[in-house]
Amino acid sequence: MKPMTTPPATPTHGPGPRPAETGLESLAATGVQFTVIDAIRNNQPFTPAVHETILEQDPIVEVKDFSLYYGPSKALHNISMPIPRGKVTSLIGPSGCGKSTLLRSVNRLNDLIDNVRVTGEILLEKSPVYAPNVDVIELRKHTGMVFQKSNPFPMSIFENVVYPLRIDGEKRKSVLKDACERALRGAAIWDEVKDRLHQSGLSLSGGQQQRLCIARAIAAEPEVLLMDEPCSALDPIATLRIEELINEISQRFTVLIVTHNMQQAARVSDYTAFMYLGRLVEYGPTADIFQNPRLPETEQYVTGRFG
Amino acid sequence: MTTSTPQSEHQRRVRRTPLAARGEPMVWLTGACLCVCLLMIAGLLTAVVVQGAATFWQPRIHRFTLADGATTMGVPVREEPYTAIGQELADIEQMIARDTMPQGALDDEGRPMRRLYRVGNREAYGDPFRWVSLYNIQRLEKPAHATLLERREWGVWIGMPEAIVLQDALPAPAEGEAFEEAGTATVNGAPVRVTREIAPTDDGPVLRERKYIAEGPEAVLAVLDEYLDAADERWSRLYHLNEVVIGDINHDIEKERLRHREMELRHAEGRATDEALARSLERRDERVAELNREYAKVRAEAAEIDAEDARWRLVITEPEQGRFAPIRQTEPDEFMRLSQVVRAVPANDLDFAGRLGVYFSRWGEFVGGQPREANAAGGVFPVIFCTVLLTVLLSIFVVPLGVIAALYLREYAKQGVVVSAVRIAVNNLAGVPSIVYGVFGLGFFCYTLGRYIDGGPSVAWSNGVWFMGMFGLLGLTVLAVIAGYVARPVPGQPPSRRMKAIAWAGGLMWIGAAGLLIALLARSPFFHGFNRASLPSPTFGTKGLLWASLTLALLTLPVVIVATEEAISAVPRSLREGSYGCGASKWQTIQRIVLPRAAPGIMTGMILAMARGAGEVAPLMLVGAVKLAPDLPFSGRFPFIHLEKSFMHLGFHIYDVGFQSPDSEASRPLAWTTTLLLIVIIAVLNLTAISLRARLRRRFVTGAF
Repeated sequence: MKPMTTPPATPTHGPGPRPAETGLESLAATGVQFTVIDAIRNNQPFTPAVHETILEQDPIVEVKDFSLYYGPSKALHNISMPIPRGKVTSLIGPSGCGKSTLLRSVNRLNDLIDNVRVTGEILLEKSPVYAPNVDVIELRKHTGMVFQKSNPFPMSIFENVVYPLRIDGEKRKSVLKDACERALRGAAIWDEVKDRLHQSGLSLSGGQQQRLCIARAIAAEPEVLLMDEPCSALDPIATLRIEELINEISQRFTVLIVTHNMQQAARVSDYTAFMYLGRLVEYGPTADIFQNPRLPETEQYVTGRFG
Repeated sequence: MTTSTPQSEHQRRVRRTPLAARGEPMVWLTGACLCVCLLMIAGLLTAVVVQGAATFWQPRIHRFTLADGATTMGVPVREEPYTAIGQELADIEQMIARDTMPQGALDDEGRPMRRLYRVGNREAYGDPFRWVSLYNIQRLEKPAHATLLERREWGVWIGMPEAIVLQDALPAPAEGEAFEEAGTATVNGAPVRVTREIAPTDDGPVLRERKYIAEGPEAVLAVLDEYLDAADERWSRLYHLNEVVIGDINHDIEKERLRHREMELRHAEGRATDEALARSLERRDERVAELNREYAKVRAEAAEIDAEDARWRLVITEPEQGRFAPIRQTEPDEFMRLSQVVRAVPANDLDFAGRLGVYFSRWGEFVGGQPREANAAGGVFPVIFCTVLLTVLLSIFVVPLGVIAALYLREYAKQGVVVSAVRIAVNNLAGVPSIVYGVFGLGFFCYTLGRYIDGGPSVAWSNGVWFMGMFGLLGLTVLAVIAGYVARPVPGQPPSRRMKAIAWAGGLMWIGAAGLLIALLARSPFFHGFNRASLPSPTFGTKGLLWASLTLALLTLPVVIVATEEAISAVPRSLREGSYGCGASKWQTIQRIVLPRAAPGIMTGMILAMARGAGEVAPLMLVGAVKLAPDLPFSGRFPFIHLEKSFMHLGFHIYDVGFQSPDSEASRPLAWTTTLLLIVIIAVLNLTAISLRARLRRRFVTGAF
């Protein structure tokens, strides 16, 4: 009797786990022993390789033994990782490995999906995110989010940027104006739009729209900025600008970024976490992960041999 | 085998794709279907526009002399061939044999043609339309100065204007005393002929003096317009006094009566003291006496104007019997008043510009005036106004209701079997025949809700039972709130069975509370209605604008719900997530992101609802539309807008004019014109909404401000 492995379910909507791409068959040919991936595939316990230098950092977000279920299927498996304050941390891994799900767990955007259940906890600034008495709306105001596809609201550029303040009830024109300018400067788009703040946000180009969304995300001075593949819908030049922007922003905010693009992770992030099939595999300083990984799986992945 | 290979390859090369596979016939078929549809629509529109626009064009007046020597004037309406039999056939054959058949009197197949003439003059001829066989016409001319009068009553009069007369009733001379029977007098510096005669009236004989201000067709037509303007002014003044001023006084008297009646009812219930009743009676009598004095004053003023108006007469004679247009059917020997004329059209004297002037003047009256002659003539302004008002009211009722319902269905309700069932039911509601809504509206809105508003509950609970119910309602509400609080969802955790059960119980308690609330309202011993003093004649408990618009709102609700649901579900998920990511609550997201973005789609629903509602007739016949209600539902008196009044509606008006009119030949063109007007109004309403939608779409969807 062969043990049945439950295939990851595909939810009809929402960012659930996508079916894993199996690049693993080719790995067998290399002859290297992949203990961790074997353990994951056989659903056996294993210890992720977390580099010690991270543990020494001051964490702003702490993920502790966190699991998430979409209905009966488990999308995140007992993930524990601290996110260092004031750094850029990137999440990499093949499609469907749960990077986005983990990201969305931090600001509880997964609540919008029916049948989501979690165990374990996530701490933001030492306070639990999933406690029953947490005000989700307040929580999300502390975590700005940028999405894969730019999603400016159907309103003017000005209103787009001050949206987080508006819904917070801020009505003073001067405050809104200051916040708008600060955020747009922060997102390096002020010079391009300062003369047309009252035009629709939809009239901008794709890259500008994404920077507008970043401006919106940082307008309320969040503690953590969550970015879900922010460049995947952009051309290389727009991507470059966003990456430069992330570098600038990281001096003021903690950034947690999901990316498909390993070069991007190498370029923009201080720390990198490699995930696979809902598990954290290896987590360490970006330089170590890319040049000196502890696990052969990580090396195979970052050099592009699978995934 | 080897030899056949190049052959089959050759065959493959020359083989063409069959026609059926290329689908060419389908292109023809689909194109042809589209063409048929377009042709039908274009045909309908052309028919309506041509017929509707032609109604007010004034043709020339014919004077025709028949074989029997009778001479009549009339306006040609249309011609058709018919089958002659008996003596007529023999006559025709004889005429052909003698070669005296006039040109064009027979059609290509040799059948005789006949022409329908509008001859008017109902008092003289009885039937205002007459078929005339063309072969029978001995002489046909278009005499100068022949005039068609549109009168306020009794249809048109066609004849020759003979004179404008200033008629006075002088005291009769004593028996046997002589008086001049004819003479001259000076009016406006010109000498005019005068006749005098003794005329009997109800108050004894008077000396009737007639001054012939203008005589002869040419002279009359030269000054007619001037005198008609003055006559119109007198008529409008009289109309205002009789209809508006006296109407208001009557309304005030009625209000006073109702106020006192309400006091009597309260007194009978022991809720008013004897003194209050006496005071009320005194106040009523005082006020009614005052109003009656005012009434007498207005009547006196009206009588004065009427006496002046009665002096100005028009003599217009038809050629057949030589009769002039009478003041009324029962007094054939009195000339008609000038003020009875709405419009005098000397059709044969007018040049093209003049006829165009008449045409537009008639359109002006049609669009801006009141109906006359049982809707067979005059205008449709109240009809247009009420149709537009009804459509606007129904949109005001249906859009918020439909949008809110759709928001709950799409945003808040947990998608499952129940919601699917509700959705299917809503979709099916769109297919319910509209008359069913009419029956429901009449039964529920008019006879249940309206009667309740008028007279309070027909059966009331005793005070004790009612208060017990009230406490029950309070208790249920509190329990439901507690259940809702206890069973509130915990994030990240699916609800346990127990919590689910509590949530269900809470929901049931809310439903129970709502039912109990309705029962408490419907059985309240403390509410006696707003209009019970005027019972048994109903105020709200009958057909009315409010109930009609609510019924139509109900009828069009599914359209709005379906369109709104589609629009809401088309709002990209990324926008919602972006909003939530910024820390917006669900309601803030709906209010600031979803609704603006869905607004064009909601507008589409509204446009569909308006188009359907404005064109609906069947339910309106039950819940509000009537044949004649020339007053607008507004007044200068509280509450200014009277939604309980019944009203006129263009759709119903078309039915009424086209099929219920006593004079179908006269009103048939009006049916076309009204149809044209209805189409134009619906088009205007829709175009307004569509342009609004285009602006919303530019603003919220495509992003160009």
